[in-house]
Amino acid sequence: MLSLTLILAAIFLPLFPFSMLFNLLYARVRNPWLRSVILLVWPLIGLTVTRTFSSIPDWLPVWAVLTSALYALRALGLREVGLWTGFMATSSWALLWVLENDGLSAVQLELFAVGISVPLALMAVLTGGLEKRYGAAYLGLYGGLAQTIPRFAGVLVMVVLAVIATPLFPTFFAMLSIIIKAIPVMPYLAMGVGLVWMLWSWAGAKLLQGLIVGPKQAAVVDLGMANMWAYVAILVALVMGGVCWLGVML
Amino acid sequence: MSKLIIVIPLLPVLSAIFIQLTAAKLERRAAWVSAMATGLTFALTLVVLALEASGVSLQTMCLTHAWGELLSDPLSAIMGTLIAGISLIVHLYSVRYMVEETGYARFFVLLDLMTASLLVLVAAADLITMLIAWHIIGVLLYFLLGHDTRSQSSFRYAFWTFITYRLGDIALVMAAALLYHAYGTWSLADIFAHIHADPDKRGLLGFSVVAETAAFLAIAAFARSAQFLLHNWLPYTMDGPTPVSALMHAGIVNAGGFLVNRFAPVFVYSGDVLHGLFIVGLFTAVIGSVLMLAQNDIKKSLGYSTMGQMGFMIMECGVGAFSLAVYHLIAHGLFKGTLFLGSGSVIGEARLDDGVPKDDLYTFVVERRTAKRRPPWLMMAAMTLTIPALVLVLAHWLVSPAFYQEQGAVILLFFGWVTGTQLLFATFRMRTERAAHLFTIVLASFTVIVIGYTLISHVFELFMYPDPAFRELIHRASNINFVWFDILIALTTIIIVFGWLSTHYAERGGKRGPQKPRPVWLSFYALISREFYLADIYAWFTRMVLRLAANLNVWFRWV
Repeated sequence: MLSLTLILAAIFLPLFPFSMLFNLLYARVRNPWLRSVILLVWPLIGLTVTRTFSSIPDWLPVWAVLTSALYALRALGLREVGLWTGFMATSSWALLWVLENDGLSAVQLELFAVGISVPLALMAVLTGGLEKRYGAAYLGLYGGLAQTIPRFAGVLVMVVLAVIATPLFPTFFAMLSIIIKAIPVMPYLAMGVGLVWMLWSWAGAKLLQGLIVGPKQAAVVDLGMANMWAYVAILVALVMGGVCWLGVML
Repeated sequence: MSKLIIVIPLLPVLSAIFIQLTAAKLERRAAWVSAMATGLTFALTLVVLALEASGVSLQTMCLTHAWGELLSDPLSAIMGTLIAGISLIVHLYSVRYMVEETGYARFFVLLDLMTASLLVLVAAADLITMLIAWHIIGVLLYFLLGHDTRSQSSFRYAFWTFITYRLGDIALVMAAALLYHAYGTWSLADIFAHIHADPDKRGLLGFSVVAETAAFLAIAAFARSAQFLLHNWLPYTMDGPTPVSALMHAGIVNAGGFLVNRFAPVFVYSGDVLHGLFIVGLFTAVIGSVLMLAQNDIKKSLGYSTMGQMGFMIMECGVGAFSLAVYHLIAHGLFKGTLFLGSGSVIGEARLDDGVPKDDLYTFVVERRTAKRRPPWLMMAAMTLTIPALVLVLAHWLVSPAFYQEQGAVILLFFGWVTGTQLLFATFRMRTERAAHLFTIVLASFTVIVIGYTLISHVFELFMYPDPAFRELIHRASNINFVWFDILIALTTIIIVFGWLSTHYAERGGKRGPQKPRPVWLSFYALISREFYLADIYAWFTRMVLRLAANLNVWFRWV
């Protein structure tokens, strides 16, 4: 029974190879809003399942960090933005296993999960926006978004920064918490988390370079002012939430 | 009055927000709003510096219960004034320089945010605030260097900077996590008090917490201050706007020296790491200077010059001259900023008139003409060995006799000696007709510089580290085994004597006339002209990682 629950948890808080199920499903779903919902709900289901465990085996956090590193590394080799979001989600959620045995309450763990998932959900919506404008969301296919659709590019930059754990977004505090929790138990694991963080930065920079940099392209409709302010409001709320809820846990 | 500590970084943030929100209406006036805010910030930093110098200590301001603390101490006051001052110059320069660039308002928003982040970094009183500012500086620099969003090459080189900085960021996170785990607090003051009470506390894997932390801090400083193997980003970031290059070379790259000074209470209990700083700094100083001499591009040459200077700064930290490193970074920041901002005009004017006076130096360096007679070799060799040493001893005796009892000071004195020797040696090779006149000028300049440098470094030390017991701790930590110390001194003396003997041989009995360069020299030149193939090795490594990622995706069918 425990092993079945563990497998279920390994699907929703992705551990390789069970993580492939999430990425298979995510690639099949094309609707950006549905993708966003999946990104928001998926880790919460995983945390609900893990709540039934009294403790988790010692090898699980190691496996989780290896899974996270694998997907962070694989994100470097991607050009399709949708897949990139899925891989980054897998890489981020896997790290929640490190926090599992740390005595955090269910609400605190869920806050970490939401803090990680919201930027990914925004990324999914922006991917939909790119597909709508250009027919595909591919790195290096068109580029020059900063020149062509500057408002969209600005929001995209901020969302990517939120995904790759830049201060003051919640992901930054989540990564800091994970490293602090890992270092006394398994110092090398903390170094592994640091390596994952570096790979995220590389993947994020590569994504931005492939999308926003380049000469101006044929005119397409930029993000409307109302939509832009909506994104800004969510990003500001994320920062405030990160500082007020996750930052104070440190 | 303590609220000034908060207001100083807040002003540029408010300016950035205001410009971002009103960019369309402000248009070109955005630059002046930004420059005025920075001017006001600079004025406030001067007030805080004056208060610190007069002994008025401002209270620490705390934004949340655990972090968000800002402090005012001599280090933060000096660094804050430097940052705000250089930022103001860069702002004023950019008002006209950037006017034809797209994203004019965005540039000033980023510049303001960068100024604010740097000011928060130097005033951070806890680890989280410091980590936040440290991370954000790397991100902002990435976007400032890639300001021209049409240029792929700008972003490619900005990425080199970004990823090297990330390495330093992670190292700093590790150091912070180790300290928090060991002492259960984020406050720097509390951590330093704990360390002082029990410097031998054991940490992870049985090592000393202080040594482990110092090692991670050193890596963070190396990445930020372009030490050898982590330096490639520095000379290659010249595609960014010139004001950004000036800000980077004059301010941001100095963060390594600042970090060592901020964590001085950690480094004083980790002598081995200080020795490591000395070795890495020395190596970087030599390599940076050699690479600088091999460049034919002025901006790249300035980049490698900065690398050499940063090596020297880290080396100073390694010999315990922490406050001297701060003075060095200020002096370097001012002259390198001037060089960068003036490099464009220099090139422009040089096309019309090279402006080089046709004196002895010109005939020696440019026309390669030498005088027929020159001073006797033996007299010059004796002068070379004695005069710099006498000037340095005199300087230290005049400033503070106790100072030059320290080993670190002796090593620095030795570097001064080497520099003086090199200066006299170069003067000797010039074969000037007016030898006495030239040597008087050279010696007078050398004496003024050495005495001035020693005096200022001593004043800085008293200002930054007023506690004599702590100064003693710094010097004790940086001391090395006397055998090694003597070997180092003897080795340097042998090199100088050998240099003079070679000159003597070449003058009296050696081969004359043009000679073909030896193959070993050609190989060495190839090595430095390719910058030790480091860029190629990193590019190869990057390709390998990307290929591995692509192969993994194929094997796992992209899921």
